Amino acid sequence: MIQERLARHFDPVLAAGAIALAGYGSLLIYSASLSSYPDGITGLGHPVVKQALLALLGIVLMVLLMMADYRAFGRVAPVLYGLGLLLLVAVLLVGDESLGSRRWLSVGPLQVQASELAKPFTILALARYMADRPLDMRRLRHFLTTLAMGLVPAVLVMLEPDMGTAIIFGSVWLVMALMGGARPYYVGLLVAVLVLSIPLVSAAALSDYQRERLALFFNPNLDPLGGGFNILQAEIGIGSGGLLGKGLFQGTQTQLDFLQTATTDYIFSVLGEELGLVGALLLLALYLVVIFRCLRAASLSYDLFGRLLATGIAVMLLVQVFVNVGVNVRLLPVTGIPLPLISQGGSSLLMTFMALGLVQSVLLRRRPFEP
Amino acid sequence: MATTTRRWRSPRPGRREQPAPAAGRGGFLALRALALLLMAILVGQLVRLQLVEGERFRQMAASNALREIQVPVSRGLIYDRGGRPLVYNRASFDAAIVPAEVRPEQQQRLFQELGSIVGLSPLEIEARFREARARQSPYDPVVVKEGLTREQALALKEREPDLPGVRLLERTVRDYVGGPALAHVLGYTGPISAEELEALGGLGYHLHDWVGKAGVEATYETILRGTPGRVLLEVDAFGRPRRVVAQQPGQDGSSLLLTVDLDLQRRLYEALSAQVPPGEVAAAALMDVRTGEVLALVSLPSFDPNLFADPARRDQAAALLDAPGKPLLNHALGELYPPLDTFKPIVAAAALQEGLVRPDTVIRNLAGYMLVSNPLAPGAVPDIIFDPRPLGDMDLTRALAQGANTYFAQLAGGSPDGTLRGLGEGRLASYARAFGLGEATGIDLSGEAPGLVPDARWKERTLRDPWRPTDTYRFGLGQSYLSVTPMQVLVATAALANGGRLLRPHLVQEVRDPDGRVVAEAGGEGRASLPISPANLSAVRQAMARAVSEGVARAAAVRGLQVAGVTAAGEGGHAWFAGFAPADQPLVAVVVYMAHGSADRAATVASQVLDFIFNQSGIAQGLREGRR
Repeated sequence: MIQERLARHFDPVLAAGAIALAGYGSLLIYSASLSSYPDGITGLGHPVVKQALLALLGIVLMVLLMMADYRAFGRVAPVLYGLGLLLLVAVLLVGDESLGSRRWLSVGPLQVQASELAKPFTILALARYMADRPLDMRRLRHFLTTLAMGLVPAVLVMLEPDMGTAIIFGSVWLVMALMGGARPYYVGLLVAVLVLSIPLVSAAALSDYQRERLALFFNPNLDPLGGGFNILQAEIGIGSGGLLGKGLFQGTQTQLDFLQTATTDYIFSVLGEELGLVGALLLLALYLVVIFRCLRAASLSYDLFGRLLATGIAVMLLVQVFVNVGVNVRLLPVTGIPLPLISQGGSSLLMTFMALGLVQSVLLRRRPFEP
Repeated sequence: MATTTRRWRSPRPGRREQPAPAAGRGGFLALRALALLLMAILVGQLVRLQLVEGERFRQMAASNALREIQVPVSRGLIYDRGGRPLVYNRASFDAAIVPAEVRPEQQQRLFQELGSIVGLSPLEIEARFREARARQSPYDPVVVKEGLTREQALALKEREPDLPGVRLLERTVRDYVGGPALAHVLGYTGPISAEELEALGGLGYHLHDWVGKAGVEATYETILRGTPGRVLLEVDAFGRPRRVVAQQPGQDGSSLLLTVDLDLQRRLYEALSAQVPPGEVAAAALMDVRTGEVLALVSLPSFDPNLFADPARRDQAAALLDAPGKPLLNHALGELYPPLDTFKPIVAAAALQEGLVRPDTVIRNLAGYMLVSNPLAPGAVPDIIFDPRPLGDMDLTRALAQGANTYFAQLAGGSPDGTLRGLGEGRLASYARAFGLGEATGIDLSGEAPGLVPDARWKERTLRDPWRPTDTYRFGLGQSYLSVTPMQVLVATAALANGGRLLRPHLVQEVRDPDGRVVAEAGGEGRASLPISPANLSAVRQAMARAVSEGVARAAAVRGLQVAGVTAAGEGGHAWFAGFAPADQPLVAVVVYMAHGSADRAATVASQVLDFIFNQSGIAQGLREGRR
């Protein structure tokens, strides 16, 4: 039976898009790590090898989750959500600090980015809560409950501090609340209040580190060799790529180490420099395909929980791509979040594949009864 | 089948009877639109960065990754007229840090390690680093220690690859052979100033270059420097070179062959130093009257040009700037003095040429003084012009030889009884200018003062005071506003001696490229001819010879040599000798000036160096044979 559903509903485009992105990412990581590994791949320690192995693992996990009934995760959603919050608190207490921010938990030899786990767990919990109350969502009480569910992890990651992931939590909650039936009036009111309180928040709640990043965003020349260095070098890298780029492995900004964190947060600059506008358009097109296929899965599902789950995942991917690329092209202040499926890093890669497995699972079980 | 279906059923079957969620198709449409919008925003920015401003970013990326470094070439040497080297090149090493290549977190470790190599505390290095960082671009190296020892330089060279941002800068330092004796001829080199950098910017000079600051080092800077080689390197973000993009070999600087004779220069320096107290201003120079070649040139007080290259003695070098007597100033051409009696030969030549007198025209009963009243204030105390003693009857020749001031005052302003019409200020000024006074001689040294030849119009315009008869009389005695450099007096004397050619004095006779080929040669070009007939010049020369043989300049006499010349001494201590030798067939002109001296002392210096030229060395012989 499952084979039958597979054949009928499995979305090969979504799967192919995700795998293509992971392959594209490996290529860029290879280029970005050439200056540290000038001899190419010589052993299992090379970042591309690790990334490719993780991608394979991710694909296996994606298939396993596709096979599994996503609704099972709905049932344990409160537990997962609680686990996510626990991880976020733990990371604040015992996490590893890097580049001024605590984001990683060491589990034996593995480093886990807590927020990467908390994101899908929160989406599951929100979807479950809203799907359980399809008609009552118009009520303020439930609206506020979901708000709190999104707000708590957002605040926790903001304490790391990780502004970018907090923005993802916020936007995912916003879209899911609207799609889940919350009154647009409440949402509009809340957004209005938030916008009006921005000056207040930036004065009171932003840490020095964040204020400095904001100041540097508006004028990186304040400190061209310090904090502003990356902003400028990324912009120079992308800008100098032009239409077709300088050629793979030929980018001077990348290969001469002017770009920092070139395999992770700033990997888009590698792409922009070496493959130009054409390469960047290809990447964005692949993302659009993946996101549109997720939204398609959501819209085809008869099950509200599945619908909200797939929507949440689509929005998560969309915002993550927008924020990461936006930082690279200097549209947004610096905030370090990975480019999904592309950036080096296991947590993000595995969780993205697993999330897409859930979307496939929603698609496969979009109808309660198969004719 | 049923069980399978059941298995896949929603856990809450009633749910599917619910109406569609609040936001249905419309919601997904809006989400798709949002995704497209966000992507479009990113694409818009990408188009702006990569296409619209792409060229600018491409240039920024190129200047990021490309660094031009200079390959030093050796600075041209300087030789005396006999081919003896006057300066040697020596390599000197500085330790520097390029701030742009130092990551903040590495700074402390870097200061520590660099400090231990060059023998400075990390704090001292940090202070220098911060101070320089505030005023220059982060890409310019900050020199933290100059003049490393050989061991320090070697140690630093070895560690350089492990210390990103640290540079070992190599620089050529000059060792000047003559020390203070040649200071004002050779000059010295020093770090380029902001103004010089701007002026020389087109020639590829850089912030840390050293350039000639004075003497021929400055005048011939671009010739001596050569063309540094250039290497275009691709560097990474830490400034480490990755590969050579382009290379252009440099060319060593050309060498200079001076007209100066090292032995004579030393002799002149010693002779002059012996006649004036330390720190007193004096100057002297010798010239080949046929070519304008300067054989020796000394200005006192002098300094050791090697001071400037020695970081340990930098304080002493800085103190020279306002030391008494202004040692850095070349007093032979940078400062103005009244010529006094050295102007008399010019007055004599002018009076002869204008037909006012003949060499044997006698003025009777020179009483030893002369009163000059002021027509504008008839009752005022008249100006008195003195002679050394009552001289009686004098002709022009004897008057020049005996220093008869009243005779020359009358040549300038006319005799009181009206029998002799004087030259007047107009003709005095025009003859003075014909002899090159009032304009730079054009010598190949910088800092030359043009001097001043006064006339009535100048006085009225500048001093707002009318020209008086006494001004004319004093003009004839080389006083009253007339101001000259010793070099101008030397050139004027040489023109009298060589038959009327006003020459451009010069210190460099040949420029030789690194392969020894002569690429430029100084011509003995004249600036002008004197408007004086050969017979009149000859008469003046004879009178000057008489001054040495039996007149006021006897101290200049040299055994076995006919010397011609005049001495002068005046209020304030100015003392001069200007003359030439041999009197009948002039070869060499000499000028000696002392700010506080006596005519005899000045003449003695001249006598000693002329003796050296003609009797003690082969210099005169060499000059006659055209040998160098």
